[in-house]
Amino acid sequence: MTLFAAAEPVFAVPVLLLDISLMALLVVVAFAIVRMRSLFAVVMLQGVYSLVCAAWFVSLDAVDVAFTEAAVGAGVSTVLMLSAMLLADRKSTPVPMNRQLGAFIVVCLAGAAMLWAVGDMPAFGDANSPANSYVGTDYLAKTAEEVQIPNVVTAVLGSYRGYDTFGEVVVIFAAGLGVLLLLGLNGNAGRWVARPNGQVVNDRSAPSAAYAKDNRSEDKKKSGEAET
Amino acid sequence: MTPFIGYFMLGSAFLIIVSMAMMLTRLIGGPTLYDRLLAVNSFGTKTVLFLCVFCFIIGRPDGVDIAMLYALMNFIATIAVLKFFNYRALNVTLMVNDESER
Amino acid sequence: MMSAFILFGAVAADTAAVTHSIDWVGLLRNVGTIISMVTGLFFVMAGTIGVLRLPDFFTRLHAAGMTDTLGAELILIALIFQSDSLQMVLKLLLVAFFLLITSPTATHAIAHAAYKAGVKPVLGKYSLPDVEEDGT
Repeated sequence: MTLFAAAEPVFAVPVLLLDISLMALLVVVAFAIVRMRSLFAVVMLQGVYSLVCAAWFVSLDAVDVAFTEAAVGAGVSTVLMLSAMLLADRKSTPVPMNRQLGAFIVVCLAGAAMLWAVGDMPAFGDANSPANSYVGTDYLAKTAEEVQIPNVVTAVLGSYRGYDTFGEVVVIFAAGLGVLLLLGLNGNAGRWVARPNGQVVNDRSAPSAAYAKDNRSEDKKKSGEAET
Repeated sequence: MTPFIGYFMLGSAFLIIVSMAMMLTRLIGGPTLYDRLLAVNSFGTKTVLFLCVFCFIIGRPDGVDIAMLYALMNFIATIAVLKFFNYRALNVTLMVNDESER
Repeated sequence: MMSAFILFGAVAADTAAVTHSIDWVGLLRNVGTIISMVTGLFFVMAGTIGVLRLPDFFTRLHAAGMTDTLGAELILIALIFQSDSLQMVLKLLLVAFFLLITSPTATHAIAHAAYKAGVKPVLGKYSLPDVEEDGT
């Protein structure tokens, strides 16, 4: 990759232009998410938002964050949002103007506080910043000989803090299971049929403790089938 | 990579971003659900292409891995959305429906 | 085979820079990149404009599905011409393979779902084919 490294400074400004156009796309998508009423389009736009966001992370040299954003933002959260949307309405109702105004003031204050805090951050690529000076230098120096993984962040997450990452994975797995149980992803429960040994068992003949409440679909309720 | 090819790839990346933006207008304004789904799928393909070209421009071969992940994740998301809207569930193949509801 | 050719091209480009002769392999790689990239971008832009401009869902679907697949493959081929290492070539080939498999499948799935859901094409003077059983 020496050819690329030699050619890199020439492209500094045009790559910045690419970054800016990606951020412009992000702004457009964010405004569309806020303004759209159709919730399905909002879910799709959120997937698009994380796609563009991850492309921007790649240009910021945060490949591992981009990887997570791609897997979680574009894949898993789209499916979770869709299943949540199926339980709720397809369209959002307009929010009255006074509540919008309060949220707008809060957002403006938070954004101003963040912009004010930017002044305390070290400059991009500063050699004396906290991330580059204390224990980070040890990780950078010793990863190549101790773990033999080219990406230092991956080595820190997977090897130096392996138990920590394992705990996080367990927590996230439990949270995901809880969300799946709450959403009830088997959406056509109550319309199932099992055929053990040729004997037809459906939800009317099966033990119905799980269906004590009427959680059938609307057309079944309208057609007036008896609740067992 | 000569500078000429570098600038050529920069122009290609800009064109891909322009086509992403045009696909975004179809996604925002698409009349039916399927138009939006088609636009999202096509947007994902273009993001994969943009990532591949962009990795060549900045000289960092890691990004192609992410492009690979996208190419798969995009497909999975599209199929998941279609399954949701056809059957209201993800595990349809595990059960036998007594009524032909679709 | 192809990657061996490209590796040989990279080596030849290095030696050619020393002897100040014309770098034929590098020139061929650049020309291949430019032709393939321009064609691919043409198809991608044509598909995008088709998705924006065509009147109904199924025509938009054919514009996006067909041209996006071909354009994506051509752009990836253009990048393969420029890659220096075997690893990069294999990764790009893998991306191209995934796109070649998944993109038409996703297009077919969307079209099938839309047809089943009763999205009607704008036909003009033609009439809808009488399909009773579509063999699903």
